[in-house]
Amino acid sequence: MPKAHSISVRSTILLLVLLAAGFAAAPRRITVYAPQANYQVDILVRDGVDYVGLTDLLEPLGRLESRVDGAKLTLVFNGAAAEFQDGKRQYRTSANPRLDLPSNFLMVDRRGYVPAASIAQLLPRITSLSAEFHAAPRRLFVGATQLRFSAELRHAPSRLVLSFPAPVNPSTLIEKSRVRLIFRREPVVGTGGDNTSYSDPFLAGTSFTEIPGGAEFVANVLQLATVSIGDGGRTVTIAVAAVPAPPPAGAPAATGAAANPAAAGQHPAVPRSRPFVILDAAHGGYETGAVFSPTLQEKSVNLALARRLQKELEARGVPVVLTRVADNLLTWDQRAVSANTSHASLYVALHSSSSGHGVRVYTALVPVAQPGQSNHSFLPWELAQSPFLEQSNTAATAIAAECGAEGLPARSSAAPLRPLNSVTLAAVAVEIAPLGAAADELGQAEYQQKIAAALASGIASLRAKLETAQ
Amino acid sequence: MISRKLQYMIALLVLAILGMGFYLVHLKRKAESISAGPVSQALTAPVTGPTEEMTLYLANDEENALRPITFSSPLPTDPGERGRLALHTLIARYLQKDSTHPLGAGAEVHDVYLLDSASAVVNLNAAFAETHRSGVEVEQLTVFSLVRTLKAQLPQLTRVRFLVDGKTRDTLAGHIDLTGWIDVAMVAEASKELK
Repeated sequence: MPKAHSISVRSTILLLVLLAAGFAAAPRRITVYAPQANYQVDILVRDGVDYVGLTDLLEPLGRLESRVDGAKLTLVFNGAAAEFQDGKRQYRTSANPRLDLPSNFLMVDRRGYVPAASIAQLLPRITSLSAEFHAAPRRLFVGATQLRFSAELRHAPSRLVLSFPAPVNPSTLIEKSRVRLIFRREPVVGTGGDNTSYSDPFLAGTSFTEIPGGAEFVANVLQLATVSIGDGGRTVTIAVAAVPAPPPAGAPAATGAAANPAAAGQHPAVPRSRPFVILDAAHGGYETGAVFSPTLQEKSVNLALARRLQKELEARGVPVVLTRVADNLLTWDQRAVSANTSHASLYVALHSSSSGHGVRVYTALVPVAQPGQSNHSFLPWELAQSPFLEQSNTAATAIAAECGAEGLPARSSAAPLRPLNSVTLAAVAVEIAPLGAAADELGQAEYQQKIAAALASGIASLRAKLETAQ
Repeated sequence: MISRKLQYMIALLVLAILGMGFYLVHLKRKAESISAGPVSQALTAPVTGPTEEMTLYLANDEENALRPITFSSPLPTDPGERGRLALHTLIARYLQKDSTHPLGAGAEVHDVYLLDSASAVVNLNAAFAETHRSGVEVEQLTVFSLVRTLKAQLPQLTRVRFLVDGKTRDTLAGHIDLTGWIDVAMVAEASKELK
């Protein structure tokens, strides 16, 4: 082999190895589907073993307290305690004093990590919730959240009807010979026979696979297809494009529905529960926000406050959704899109600062809507908040007033603060600051709780007003 | 056996090394005290022009306030220079040890460019943004203070944009948006909510 050729081959191989290493180095996460929330937990690899952070895993599931005493970590989850020791496999819970992990427990920066392979056994022992872990796609189902679907091929005209026990909203990719449904948010799982062949002029076969962070259903079609979602999101129909899909349940009787009345009446249309408020804990991941001390960062305070506020609001019967429930970074646009597609009535971004005292409530610094400009007017992304500014001001005033009534120094004003200007619903940002001079107060559970209660009262008082306006 | 002569040489060298070490520490401390000083030389450059009133909007973190102070000073006739001098003077106040709204050491305004009489681009130096404290309120006070001070010197001004070292920056220090034009009238309106 000529020398130059040999060098180029070696260089290509080296490049490919480097590329592969680059892809392998991409952060891996476990997707958790729980009754409380869906969230992702980063995987930490040590000595070839995948580990997950216990706090990241448990915090969204309930009330969690943790204490580190040297190499010992004590967790109290909803009143039940568990103890782990750095470098030891053995751990204990309130119910069982001697349990084993498949690999050693790990402490990194005073945070506890358990082997990913153990979480299906570990979670029920700590939380009393059932857990099922699918290792290859890295999907964890907590509390029997799995959605098992059924697929039925119907004829005249040919169509494949997928029925789900709860509403779904998959991303749909229609190609010439196949239709792909990708389930990113829903805990959809297979039913065993995940690859099926059909002898039908429209459908050749289907397959279902779980992928990291989701699941994919593929229908191999022989004619151009269309996809329709009906029955309140519980039914996905893949049909020949030229033939209209069956109308959704509750629609006036038509030819398609009449051809299969059972399909139309299978599930009563259930309206999806709509959150009233979307809480957005600012910053996350490598973007820490303000750093108050070596162990206290703004991103963590914001998330802790968001969780407390969520519980306070839910206790008042206010439906809530969070943009992030773990330490991950979202861009401003992702936050705005989450808010705009949430069908909520109020967006609240949460910030914290060591400067000043009490609570500050901000609205977007955008011009008010011009006369004749409605919520549906076409506006630049940066000014999308304009038609909603009046509602936002009402919300900011009410929240600041409620905080003031609870004895917290509070004020409201406008500021050029993203993503408020791109949110198409009433939107405010809340920044909390300590009452005294020490920033440590921001990390104290008592202070956060006091603020969460005041904010929740203010938000709850807006419900009737904002829902009516919407 | 080391000769007496060599021993003297080594002792002298050790003394010289120690002496140089102490002198280096002394120089380092002197340099630090100069860089932490209130105002750099550039901020106090002599200005020629008629004596006029200059208004600065000074931020106060503790009171969450933006307060105007007015004094007489020689001001240049060129609007860009006039704006730059006002911001230099404002920042000099913030760099003083007893400042009510401290900025990080080395914070400065490179330039103020006027695109027309209504639009100004303020070019901050990197230290201004990188040493700025992070927080919505503290960043808001800085930006509002700069905008209102500039407006006080340039009454025709309607919008201001901030660059850092000549480039667009997402936020001042993680919160206040610097990617677009800031409307001066809206800042004045929002400032009413401050004390």
